[in-house]
Amino acid sequence: MSARLTHDGFRRLLEQVREAGYALVGPTISDGAIVYGPIAGADDLPIGWTDEQAPGRYRLRERGDRAHFGYVLGPQGPRRQLTPPVETLVRIRLGPRREQGPRTPEGVEAADEDGEPLALIGLRACELAAMAVQDAVWTGGPFVDPRYARRRERALIIAVDCLEPGELCFCVSTNTGPGVEAGASFDLRLTELGEEFLVEVGSERGQALIDGLGELAEPSTAQLFAARTQGVLAAAMELHGRERQLDLDGLPELLFANLDHPRWDELAARCLSCGSCTLVCPTCFCHRVEERAPLDAPTSERVRHWDSCFTDEHSRIHGAQFRPQIRERYRQWMTHKLGAWVSQFGTSGCVGCGRCIAWCPVGIDITEEVAAIRAAPVAPDDAEPVALPPATTVPALAGDPMHPQLARVVSVREELREVVTLAVEPVGVFSHAPGQFNMLGLPDVGEVPISISGQAGGELLHTIRAVGAASRALVALEAGDRLTLRGPFGSAWPLAELRGHNVVVIAGGLGLAPLRGALREMVAHPERYPSVRLLYGARSPEELLFADEILSWDRSIRFAPTTAPAVLESGHVKVHVTVDGAAPGWTGHVGVVTKLMRRKPLSAHARYLVCGPEIMIRFVLRELETIGVAQDQVWLSMERNMKCAVGMCGRCQYGPHFICKDGPVFRWDAIAGLLGREGF
Amino acid sequence: MAARPRLGVFKLASCDGCQLTLLDLEDELLAIAAAVDIVHFPEASSDMDPHGRFDLTLVEGSVSTPAQLDELRAIRAQSRTLVAIGACATAGGVQALRNFADHREYVRAVYATPAYIETLAQVTPIAAHVRVDFELRGCPIDKGQLLELISATLVGRRPDIADESVCMACKRAGQVCVTVAHGQPCLGPVTHAGCGALCPRFSRGCFGCYGPRERANTEALADHMQAEGVSAASLVRRFRLFTGWSEAFRAESERHDD
Ligand SMILES: Cc1cc2nc3c(=O)[nH]c(=O)nc-3n(C[C@H](O)[C@H](O)[C@H](O)COP(=O)(O)OP(=O)(O)OC[C@H]3O[C@@H](n4cnc5c(N)ncnc54)[C@H](O)[C@@H]3O)c2cc1C
Ligand code: SF4
Ligand code: SF4
Ligand code: SF4
Ligand code: FES
Repeated sequence: MSARLTHDGFRRLLEQVREAGYALVGPTISDGAIVYGPIAGADDLPIGWTDEQAPGRYRLRERGDRAHFGYVLGPQGPRRQLTPPVETLVRIRLGPRREQGPRTPEGVEAADEDGEPLALIGLRACELAAMAVQDAVWTGGPFVDPRYARRRERALIIAVDCLEPGELCFCVSTNTGPGVEAGASFDLRLTELGEEFLVEVGSERGQALIDGLGELAEPSTAQLFAARTQGVLAAAMELHGRERQLDLDGLPELLFANLDHPRWDELAARCLSCGSCTLVCPTCFCHRVEERAPLDAPTSERVRHWDSCFTDEHSRIHGAQFRPQIRERYRQWMTHKLGAWVSQFGTSGCVGCGRCIAWCPVGIDITEEVAAIRAAPVAPDDAEPVALPPATTVPALAGDPMHPQLARVVSVREELREVVTLAVEPVGVFSHAPGQFNMLGLPDVGEVPISISGQAGGELLHTIRAVGAASRALVALEAGDRLTLRGPFGSAWPLAELRGHNVVVIAGGLGLAPLRGALREMVAHPERYPSVRLLYGARSPEELLFADEILSWDRSIRFAPTTAPAVLESGHVKVHVTVDGAAPGWTGHVGVVTKLMRRKPLSAHARYLVCGPEIMIRFVLRELETIGVAQDQVWLSMERNMKCAVGMCGRCQYGPHFICKDGPVFRWDAIAGLLGREGF
Repeated sequence: MAARPRLGVFKLASCDGCQLTLLDLEDELLAIAAAVDIVHFPEASSDMDPHGRFDLTLVEGSVSTPAQLDELRAIRAQSRTLVAIGACATAGGVQALRNFADHREYVRAVYATPAYIETLAQVTPIAAHVRVDFELRGCPIDKGQLLELISATLVGRRPDIADESVCMACKRAGQVCVTVAHGQPCLGPVTHAGCGALCPRFSRGCFGCYGPRERANTEALADHMQAEGVSAASLVRRFRLFTGWSEAFRAESERHDD
């Protein structure tokens, strides 16, 4: 179906869209730029104006005609409307103030307000491509963000072909333009040809609008079609002949093989780490989640803000900052956008719009940077594997993954100084596998990832060390209190795969907690796990976690302080414990866990599970390498900053992986190329 | 009922503007007053009790005299959480500009009896002398951020005040970049956010009131500005404003000052 519209017909079309109850969003002139935002009708369009763009430079210019869409792209696209820069996720009703400890939650309400559906007017081919990328992020599964999904599903899309591409466009390289393809996701597609529009219908909604125009929608003509084809072709040819191209061929491999290229240092000398490129890019999606609770407010809000891999907090966890340097941040942006994206979402993250080039305050040009690395790669034949399957795939959660349930603390057990185990009773059936984690939180304070350290009947155990604001508040909870819980998330220890094998578990410090569920399973089933050895290291005897339980697994070990343990007779479990620093009365091993590994001959054929501080994991792996253990026999658990736990906030990225959903448990070979590398 | 948390407010060398922000919180002040005992607040009342312990102490102003240094140490000793508020307390403020010159000459020029004026050789931010738990930036501070700081500290939450560039706030606000669209020099990329990109919202480049952000690449920005025609003298003036004595801005202005 198609039609031909004059300017009057087009004006009426927009009126009709508004009458149908849509909020019009389109290009309009504001602050010396053509910005994408609310408009009242056709008069608000930048009629007769165009933009001139260069790296770090954007200017408006009058065209001398009445073109409605005679410009290219403004600073931000519809990402702003579909994932607002600041958005409330849920509202949590707060309990009364207490003498000690934080306020606890009393109820959770969804915060999504269904406003008018959006009519997104004037979207270019690259913007439709970007929207498809955003669809994959927010709705591509296994988790779906209902806020995005709803806005996107209701939105009416009026797309426009590009016949006059801008100076910075390179959509031909990325195969995302300049013409809007017939199969793309639009309701109507416009081609502006002189004083007329050729309209192609893409949906029933679109057809109804055209039908509603009556006589104003004239039949399209063969000439108009020919003019469109010619125009799009000419634009494509022009783009093709330009110097600015982005060669996507083998780009992920090229970038990941050149993580130490000198170009990153050169870039760091120019890049301000301001984050502008990420916030104008139509495909970036990183965000943070913060708690907002004014002093006397009865509710606390969990709010999502646009964030960027150029900020400090993005890659910070308690006690570590993984990307302190600008070179590492720029490298994250580029290796994600043009590399890791492909394995995460099956497509490049760049749609060739040129926004990051125009709106970089110092005019850094991503295509130039790629070309420089391509021209002189430092490690051309040594590409590291980028696309690898996650350790274990997990079933999706139904419903809003950001909407927590209110769980009840049944008991609190003090394990060590500043470490407690909360036994938490979730609402409804809750099934998890050892190694997975939950997001535990309190209104007023926030949410943090905590591994499930075991299950006792219907109660989930979480062993938590108080290190900062959120963990301290969780540790301060008392039996009967409620908290917010989302989960379970992430991959699990490969218990099924371990059956019949000799298993060695190596844990450091609190790293024993995520392993306890798996250990309990193996201890209880000698017929499945013929030999299980635990090598456990802690800083001092007072820092030994679950000491009584460990003793109960292996009667032969002795270390102080001992209590009389319940003894398991099977004898298939051996436990070795070491402490970094000796103390009076300590009769066990002294030294780090790798030293213990050398003392206790380990088999090259066993299966290994490793969890603890990252530095310890790396030393353990080095040790395993020397005894000839293959990478596909080892699993380990990783930690990074996490805000969503469902692959949407972007914070936990580790090269091609999201640690929250592809991990936290990885088989060693999946991440071997990145482990220990600065900046990841 | 446990004792309510005690909030102390103190000032050193400053203009009182930041303390006034607290009074400016009109609507919210009642809630704050209901949640805490405001113990020492020279700007609001003459009935003060500078002795005893404070759960949260806000200190405005920089250290300019030996007496202020003593006072600051005493305040620190009495405070559980000490927050430096404003450009003076966090970076020295405008008065720190005297550090770039010979301050004795200023004293002679300004005061009739210079012998009475006892000053330290340099005006310094609070963190140069005592441990500071949090720095709330700005000249003056932003009232929304102040409220968040107080609310968060009282419940033990980390305040939602990110150390990020003004560009981040500017882009979230949907503001058109003044550098890119109007060719205006702007310190936003190297400046700590907090003002909500106030100047860009009025089509002006950022003046850097909130001081440098982490990883402020002032050198790259200054080089770019210079290539766009900004003179060395103008660069010195730009980096030498309210937060000119902060390390990053000071080093940058000195690079262009000969
Ligand atoms: C998969 C996974 C499982 C974990 N399991 C446990 C566990 O069983 N027991 C336990 O005590 N701790 C566990 N942690 C670490 C725990 O999440 C952090 O100690 C906690 O987030 C610190 O938050 P905070 O507010 O107390 O500290 P702050 O230092 O004030 O943290 C500020 C913010 O930084 C982020 N952050 C800080 N540290 C981490 C971190 N290590 N991981 C992710 N985000 C972080 C959070 O967003 C937090 O809100 C786990 C982390 C991950 C990623
Ligand atoms: S990386 Fe740059 S050119 Fe590519 S889609 Fe993002 S903003 Fe556009
Ligand atoms: S990590 Fe990726 S999605 Fe997130 S801001 Fe950086 S480039 Fe964009
Ligand atoms: S590339 Fe440009 S826009 Fe992106 S962070 Fe660096 S200076 Fe800012
Ligand atoms: S993407 Fe948000 S925590 Fe992994």
